[in-house]
Amino acid sequence: MKNNIPQLRKKLGITQEDLAEKAGVARQTIIALEQNRYNPSLALAHAITQVLKQKRIEDVFEL
Amino acid sequence: MLGKAHWFKRRKYTGWGLVPATWQGWVYLAAAIALIMLTQALPIAENVRITLLFILVFILILDVVDIMRKLPMDERERIHEALAERNALWAILTALIAGIGWQAYISAISKTVQIDPLIITALLVGVAAKAITNLYLDRKN
Repeated sequence: MKNNIPQLRKKLGITQEDLAEKAGVARQTIIALEQNRYNPSLALAHAITQVLKQKRIEDVFEL
Repeated sequence: MLGKAHWFKRRKYTGWGLVPATWQGWVYLAAAIALIMLTQALPIAENVRITLLFILVFILILDVVDIMRKLPMDERERIHEALAERNALWAILTALIAGIGWQAYISAISKTVQIDPLIITALLVGVAAKAITNLYLDRKN
């Protein structure tokens, strides 16, 4: 699964640490996601989509 | 109980338990060691000293379990821990079964039963823990 978390995060001006805290995960998990090394659960994908102020999960993640 | 969860992190590369993550964690560890050493240096009867040691270690183990329960873990960390624990279990099982095999071989050669009941008990406890976990998980989700 690919994602555009780094681009959306930078657009909002938030750090990996901020995103991790708001999504309720460790910073290492955000790093793994940004490097496409980890496929999140639906709940985490939803939480990240909300933190990144996107409407749909598909706006952030793609298969 | 005594220590705070944010003072520590899970031990990942050197066994099980906790490692200090902040200076408070190191103070906690130093205080625990100092307390144990202090009680062992007290001029009291040996049986009282040993009892005191066991009580302190028991309290420490309870506190470590409590802290570990409270340490936050996200879904990725949970998956990593589950896989690492599963692999550790397989390694332990292999060693235990090899031990039983060796003891069975010695028993057969010497014509005396030399199988350690503790190893059998450990395996049976493991079987029970697995069954209970699966029963719980099947009902939960």
